[in-house]
Amino acid sequence: MIKVRGIDVFSRPLEYLTPLGEQVGEIIREWVEKEVIPYRREFDEDYLEHRLILPPFKKLLGEYGIQRILFPEDLGGWGLGHSDYLCVAAFRMFEEIARADSGMAVAFGVVFWPLVLICCEPHVNRRLCEEFAPMFTGTTEPVFSCLAMTEPQGGSDIENVEVLKGSTIRTTAVRDGDEWVINGHKLWPTNTGGVADLMAVVCTTNPGSRNPEDIAIIFVPCDRPGVTQGPAYEKAGMAADKNGDIWFENVRVPLWYRACGPGDDAKYYGEVVSLGNMGSIAFAVGVMLNIYEKLQEYVNRKTYRGMPLKENDAVAGVLADFAATIEAVRIIGYQCARMCDRQDLYGPRWTPEIVARARAHRYFAADRALEAIGKVMNLMECFGPDRDWDVEKHWRDIKMVQLWLGGKQLSQMEVARWFFECETL
Amino acid sequence: MNDLELFPYPKNRLQKTDLDLAASLQNLVQKEIVDKRLELKEDYEGLLKPNLRKLLVEIGLQRMFWPESLGGEEHNGPEAAYTVAAALEQVGRADTGLAYLAAHNLALQAALAMRENLDTEACARFAPLFCDGRGPVIVSFLLPVFGEDGKAPTWRGKSFQVKARAASGSWILDGRGVRPTCSGVDADLFGAWCAVENEEQPAFILVPGDASGLSRGPEFKKTGLAASRNADLDLSGVQVPLENCLFRGETEYRRLLSWLYLGISATAVGGLLAAYQILKEWGDNRVIKGTGNVFKENPLTGALMGEIAQDISMARLLAYDLAGMLADPPSFGDAGSDGVFTAALMIVHQVLATAERAIHRTMELMASAGYAKEWQLERYWRDLKTVQCYVGSHELAKHDFARWFYGARTL
Repeated sequence: MIKVRGIDVFSRPLEYLTPLGEQVGEIIREWVEKEVIPYRREFDEDYLEHRLILPPFKKLLGEYGIQRILFPEDLGGWGLGHSDYLCVAAFRMFEEIARADSGMAVAFGVVFWPLVLICCEPHVNRRLCEEFAPMFTGTTEPVFSCLAMTEPQGGSDIENVEVLKGSTIRTTAVRDGDEWVINGHKLWPTNTGGVADLMAVVCTTNPGSRNPEDIAIIFVPCDRPGVTQGPAYEKAGMAADKNGDIWFENVRVPLWYRACGPGDDAKYYGEVVSLGNMGSIAFAVGVMLNIYEKLQEYVNRKTYRGMPLKENDAVAGVLADFAATIEAVRIIGYQCARMCDRQDLYGPRWTPEIVARARAHRYFAADRALEAIGKVMNLMECFGPDRDWDVEKHWRDIKMVQLWLGGKQLSQMEVARWFFECETL
Repeated sequence: MNDLELFPYPKNRLQKTDLDLAASLQNLVQKEIVDKRLELKEDYEGLLKPNLRKLLVEIGLQRMFWPESLGGEEHNGPEAAYTVAAALEQVGRADTGLAYLAAHNLALQAALAMRENLDTEACARFAPLFCDGRGPVIVSFLLPVFGEDGKAPTWRGKSFQVKARAASGSWILDGRGVRPTCSGVDADLFGAWCAVENEEQPAFILVPGDASGLSRGPEFKKTGLAASRNADLDLSGVQVPLENCLFRGETEYRRLLSWLYLGISATAVGGLLAAYQILKEWGDNRVIKGTGNVFKENPLTGALMGEIAQDISMARLLAYDLAGMLADPPSFGDAGSDGVFTAALMIVHQVLATAERAIHRTMELMASAGYAKEWQLERYWRDLKTVQCYVGSHELAKHDFARWFYGARTL
């Protein structure tokens, strides 16, 4: 066994870290070593059933209880929704899970994603917390959430709230007495394909309207009559992240299941976009950290003219570029997380400014990661595409991180719109 | 106009038979592969294997170069380079893996049966296997790799995977954990570029798939190329006749590789043409920013689509440039010369890098549809990345370029 430097050599802003995040990070590192990494090479074939993927989630979310972290302490949670270290702690958790499997990292992250709307300051919805906390805190079984945004006619349009203001949303929420009646069809949410227990559904209360007050984010327990989930799609990678269709046919929920209320749903929707981008950077970092480990093994074991491959100058150039990419992307990611945490310094994380910054950070990070991983695969020649080396799996997965959340072009538009004050994009 | 004709290539240099072959392949692969793959996906037995037979045996790609007297088509002049390019880009459009396998088969034929370098004895020994109509001949190569466990002898910085020695009228071959360029599970013939014991000159030796002492490991999982079910091999005292050594010289070896790189370049162009057709459908029908804004009419996405078309055009021109070089030895030199080999290596790397970039961008434009298997794009992305890795490290290839252009001697 060759002794090499481990993944902790890469820079993190030590002044940002939180004891809770570090402690949970260590627990997750141990969990991925024992419960995920030994089995992940079979995940691709497990994309429909999750026979291998669900048991480790049961341990992490249910038995360790991490699924309860956002809820207030008096409701059985850990109160992280009140913390201004939420994002930094989340970043650490995400990168640790993504080191093993970024599909699991996104499935994990999305458990909390819609809950941000009701658990985090300054828009805690106490009544909904009380309603849903028992789902997550009263069981050792894993509980999954999802945020249903994309529709058949276009994902990026739904997420393009600033310009389209919800006018293209076709999933409707109609008030009927003290209930919402929801009808529509959503595609692609993480944790669908039969996984989710609770959904937050992006709807319109007035189809075609450009009034932000008509955008409603409504929580829907998945066992409600009229909710149908299709099977998981087959994708290039990320088998642990099940995506499928959801149909809503006259689904009824109480009026108070609306997350934040008229105007605020649209406003705080920006927050989930910011956090989704922040998390995506963590996934990219986690993936690259694991590839660093794999690459260490490869360039130490393989030889070139009697010396380890890493001692060749040309190879060293590629290795240096890869290390530099991890360094830079990790710093960017932690800065993004800190920006989302310290709203007192940077402003609210739902504003177009923070959304634009987070999108810029994310697409830059994902582009660099993908490029760097592609070069590592080339360096490994015929072993690069070999699943036994794990690098190709990460390469397939990280491509999805680059493409989701409306795709790169939407990110570019939002970034240009804010930094250059474009008015018609 | 056929939409594939939008992308420039030197049509004037192709013979009518090349164009006819390309047209019939285009129809065949559309009907037999493209139209069926939504249902059959990448099923080896159901989709890929039957079509490999159709291409190699029924269409006759595996008979192309061999002398007529041995049952071949004797299309074995250097101008066959255009035929290879025209045929494989059509096959690659339907399935990159099938084209990649065909490229191996054609490269071996070119190495043995090219009119100017016809190896009569080798043709007599091996042509019947390709021409008897019994089944497709899957050809795989065992080439040196970059970085090896231990201290294997090297060729141009790459470590030989197989060692050979002559003994008692035979070649004896050994190698453990040998990674073939394709089809370790299924190949009928392995062409091994071997280090020879106590000799400086390597040898290219053909090993039948059923040779005693050759054992195949289990199929390993990989990123793409479902048509190439690959496995590592162990060669333990594999004994083959001395005549199975097809050549000892680097010129012949480089010639083989130059033709292989042509086939692979055309394969990649085929993948790009497929990506174009998928994106065309997306760009024509997708509406963004509310109703009425067709995707291709948006200035940003339209520009990116334009850039992708530019990439495809340049890749196709480069692939046909390589065909042109191989087709005209009096002007450019033999396919096995250092200059042509270096150009072939540069072109295959450039075409594959261009393909990687263009398909990456196509996926970006299509967002989640880009990585959903239903849209069929992501398979080209996985396949071509796999091909790129199998062609070899760009870092070492750059040393070859430096050797040729700058006279570097010790790289």
